[in-house]
Amino acid sequence: MTRSMDKISDFVFRNATYLIFAGVLIYYGIQAPSFLTPESLVNIVKQASFTGIAAVGMTFVLLTAGIDLSVGSVMFLAPLMAGYVMRDLGMPVPVAVVAAVLTGVVLGSINAILIVRLRVIPFITTLATLFLFRGFGTWLTSSQQFDFPDEIRAFGLSGVFGIPTPIIVFTAVALVAHLVLAHTEFGRQVYAFGNSPEGARKAGLKVGWIQARVYIICSACAALSGFMLIAQIGRLDAAFGEGAEFDVIAAAVLGGASLFGGIGSAFGAVIGATLIQTVKLGLVFTGVNLYLQPIIQGVIIFIAVLVDGMREKQVLAKMKRTIRPL
Amino acid sequence: MPSAASSPSRKWASRLFLSDYFVLYLSLAYVAILAPFLPTLLNPANISNVLSNLWPLLVVATGQTFILATAGIDLSQGAVIAVTSVIGAMLIAVTGNAAVLSNAPIWGVFIGEQGGILAGSIGGIAVAIAIMMLVAILIGLLNGVSVAVFGMPAFMVTLVTMIVIGAVAIYLSLSENISNLPDAFVTLGKGDLVSVYFGAQDESKIPRKIIYSFVTYPMVIAVAVAVAAHYLLNRTVFGRQVVAVGSNKRNAEVSGIPVRRVIVAVFVISAVCAAIGSILYSARLEAGRPTLGAGTFLLDVIGATVIGGTSLFGGKAKIIWTFFGVLFFVLLSNTLNLMNLSAFQVDMVKGAVILAAALLDVLRTRLTRELT
Amino acid sequence: MGDLLAFEGLSKSWFGVPAVSDLTLAMRENSLLGVIGQNGAGKSTLMNMIGGIVEPTSGRMRWKGADYEPKSAADASEAGIAFIHQELNLFTNLTVAENLYIDGFPRKFGMIDWATINERTRHILGRLALDVEPSVNVGHLSPGERQLVEIARALHNEAELVIFDEPTTSLTPRETERLFETIATLRGEGRSIVYISHILSDVKKLSDDVAVLRDGKLVDQGPASDFSIARMIRSMIGRDLGGQFPERSNTPTTSAILSARSLSQPGVLQDVSIAVNRGEILGLFGLMGAGRSELARVIFGLDPHETGEIEIDGKPLAGGPRERIAAGLAFVTEDRRAEGLMLEAPIAENLALVSIDRFGKKPFMLVDRERVAEETEAMKDNLSIKAGNIARQPAKALSGGNQQKVVIGKWQMQSPKLFILDEPTRGVDVGAKYEIYTLIDRIAATGGGILMISSELEELLGMADRIVVMNRGEVVGEVGRDEFDRETILSMAFREVIA
Repeated sequence: MTRSMDKISDFVFRNATYLIFAGVLIYYGIQAPSFLTPESLVNIVKQASFTGIAAVGMTFVLLTAGIDLSVGSVMFLAPLMAGYVMRDLGMPVPVAVVAAVLTGVVLGSINAILIVRLRVIPFITTLATLFLFRGFGTWLTSSQQFDFPDEIRAFGLSGVFGIPTPIIVFTAVALVAHLVLAHTEFGRQVYAFGNSPEGARKAGLKVGWIQARVYIICSACAALSGFMLIAQIGRLDAAFGEGAEFDVIAAAVLGGASLFGGIGSAFGAVIGATLIQTVKLGLVFTGVNLYLQPIIQGVIIFIAVLVDGMREKQVLAKMKRTIRPL
Repeated sequence: MPSAASSPSRKWASRLFLSDYFVLYLSLAYVAILAPFLPTLLNPANISNVLSNLWPLLVVATGQTFILATAGIDLSQGAVIAVTSVIGAMLIAVTGNAAVLSNAPIWGVFIGEQGGILAGSIGGIAVAIAIMMLVAILIGLLNGVSVAVFGMPAFMVTLVTMIVIGAVAIYLSLSENISNLPDAFVTLGKGDLVSVYFGAQDESKIPRKIIYSFVTYPMVIAVAVAVAAHYLLNRTVFGRQVVAVGSNKRNAEVSGIPVRRVIVAVFVISAVCAAIGSILYSARLEAGRPTLGAGTFLLDVIGATVIGGTSLFGGKAKIIWTFFGVLFFVLLSNTLNLMNLSAFQVDMVKGAVILAAALLDVLRTRLTRELT
Repeated sequence: MGDLLAFEGLSKSWFGVPAVSDLTLAMRENSLLGVIGQNGAGKSTLMNMIGGIVEPTSGRMRWKGADYEPKSAADASEAGIAFIHQELNLFTNLTVAENLYIDGFPRKFGMIDWATINERTRHILGRLALDVEPSVNVGHLSPGERQLVEIARALHNEAELVIFDEPTTSLTPRETERLFETIATLRGEGRSIVYISHILSDVKKLSDDVAVLRDGKLVDQGPASDFSIARMIRSMIGRDLGGQFPERSNTPTTSAILSARSLSQPGVLQDVSIAVNRGEILGLFGLMGAGRSELARVIFGLDPHETGEIEIDGKPLAGGPRERIAAGLAFVTEDRRAEGLMLEAPIAENLALVSIDRFGKKPFMLVDRERVAEETEAMKDNLSIKAGNIARQPAKALSGGNQQKVVIGKWQMQSPKLFILDEPTRGVDVGAKYEIYTLIDRIAATGGGILMISSELEELLGMADRIVVMNRGEVVGEVGRDEFDRETILSMAFREVIA
């Protein structure tokens, strides 16, 4: 009896996002049937892919109970480096993508060194690098808008069999991340570390290296995300990516990643980002005042966080020792 | 026993590092080093400018200090500033600009052509300020209850309130500024009590612009808030409870500290401080602005507080540290401006300073460990 | 030869205080060594040295005849030594199979080879007769099952030596039985075992050899067949009870300060009734996990109870700790560092914490700092806390005994009617223990009531006026001072409640 109740509440807690998602889709579908047409759905996923790619990376960090506030600045600086590679060295788009991701790896390494080696807490480290990375980027551009060569937009607006490139990249990133998290030793160790850093150390895992890699992965994803978004616009202005860290964290948390570590998945981040975008576009579709949209989004995130908090309480209650049979 | 007194110079260095006044010394040293290269730094006009930037930030950071003392964080302060700024302005504006505001939801309800509904009424400004405080208290309660009762992480709760309240602020006026605030209100932001004239004595008519205001209303308000906060945090029973919660929450619970009540209270204090900051900022701008406190403002607040020496892990917080931290931060921004660096280069230096402060904190912790 | 693990003059001291000193001991291959000793006898320090978590100050260890100097947990596991700790070290968000292989997964094309892992895990679980799927999350398993998973982890690492540290505390009788069968299986496979436990009958039953530690020294050893329970206890305590405890000066009355009636909470307490009288020291004995601390937390309002009531001086208690402190309760918890102190804060602030409301001056509730300084200083002298400047020195700079005095002192500042002391002398050296006993006696002598929880029976025999015994969340017996008898009390504590 109690077991089955437990299972139901467990299911609701674990799948809160999917349940909310289903509710939102059904609601909009009734309000505006055209919302559920393939074109509209493809558009949602496309718009979600930018935050989504970064949210997949953020999930790695959140799994270790860390946080990365610098993603917005990485989304700015990395495509900028790629832009120089294209404009000044005349390199083609694929090289530029690699340049952007490599920049992300370097920036992530800086975070990792500060956190793992110098033991500055992630919040402060990434708060500082948020300023540093953006400052460095705008120093390079002298706060001017940076125009990319035209090929980049051709790339950004291209597609394969009618599927827009951002969606393909998003899918690829999510799939790779899923494989890494669910099916590699490193991935499982990330979960173990998030569940109990002390336990991971005792089990002989190389905890520093695990932690370092998640920050590198997070920055690399943020870099790719920034590049994909720039490829839509073709130019980079000084405020690009500002405040994006909060959207990215919100998407990951909405996708079921716990801020306390150990819980979350790449697939969840995809759902989280898509859910946010669905709510956003749905509000547009149903003609809700533009200004009210962030408020409704906020409320939905609030519910997700509330559920996360309750789930954590439930986990703690479960861990409490019972000393006699129930 | 570890040899703490190994060398006198080392001991002296740790004393300096661990002193309450360390950041003040750092600020003074910074000024002393830069003054020869930046002659404008010590100009009365510049000092007056530094001070006018200092006071509102001090008030907001004071509120954040209480939060950090309990090992929490409040990201919603900027949004509180914005929403109270708009609400205050819409109530007391002398006239309303239909061309700008006629589409806003507040038009015709709280503000019209003839100004805000409290405009011109006796005590209207006081009532408006009371309403601003009330709004802040409600937001603080929402944050505090979510964290203390529902066990949600402060970071996410205040992130969400930041998004929602920030959006409300923009929605109210449809992102337009509300200007034409009454003089009595504007005085709160820039009016001076004591001004100093640095010119020759025989001049009979002094042009306004060469009078430098030093003792201003913002200064009086900020100092009053900071002193009250200092007593509250460091001298009262409540302050001891705040520190106890931040030092060791489980111990506080066992020791009969009303942990939940304390957490709710610090979020309310933080929001109220933000609202007072909002009065100072709005009055200085002579407008209610829905984008006040947006962008990296909040990171300035947390950065300044942490540089002062307040720990993000709770249990270690002093208002005097925050004062020095804010002073250092404002001086830094000011000098970087004087060097004609761009706003973004200022950001970069700020980042480096936050990092240096964090590393310094790691060093300090190590030193304390060595000394005991 | 034939020695699997040997210690030669092994010592470890913390800040000059020896935890293990000059230990020389060898264990044979394929044998089971039982290690016993009171809390603080040096068992955990010894285990931490074997496990590579603590480095010895001097002396050396030899493993299979070669020098053994582990620098980390990984070194120990590589050498073939596995630990089953009292607190299990499993990742509750991962599956059984993942927990086994977390430090090294077999791979195929860079991906984890799930088929192989699940098959091998199933095989290992089969050897332990544990019937769970490899793909089940450990979070869903019972404590007993989790422990078997931990043992499975040791097996999968092909550990030659498995060290069990108090393995039965959270197990049901059936699970304990199963554990012993498993231990027999392990021995049948040629593995060696170190078994640490407070449950002396288990140690006697399982061991080939027994080693007794006291104050960091090896004080007795020999084949288990030569050891009676009485000899074990004598060696563990090692001295006459006389000098250990102060002359008693309290006179217990029969008027109850605290009375708790029929407290029940599913999974924790079952129909517990208990009363503490004025001037009385009531000892609460039981094995770890018997529900002693849980009862204390319920009485203090930290944990809920479904039925039953608690009264102080005849008035029913309600609310949380704050209300109960106001009613006159004080609670020295078992985990001093996590629940008793603000380690970074000065001693004086710790002392004044509970009674801080009293120092508030109206109207602004400003703390009367002079009075705080006066009263905390007086408390420091009263309890002879060995500290310099209590207004500056942080609590973490004190020794364990003095930290405990600070915790007791912060409650004393409030002059409570009833003290709950949970393991008040844990991790405290002998000298400070005596001082704490004296303090307890003094509180009772001035009319206070004391509920003293301890896993050290000797301590309760020495201090209590009456002992109540708990077993699996129930009160199973009560003994008055003139009937104190070690055998009777232990047999009540060990008797297994039929579930």
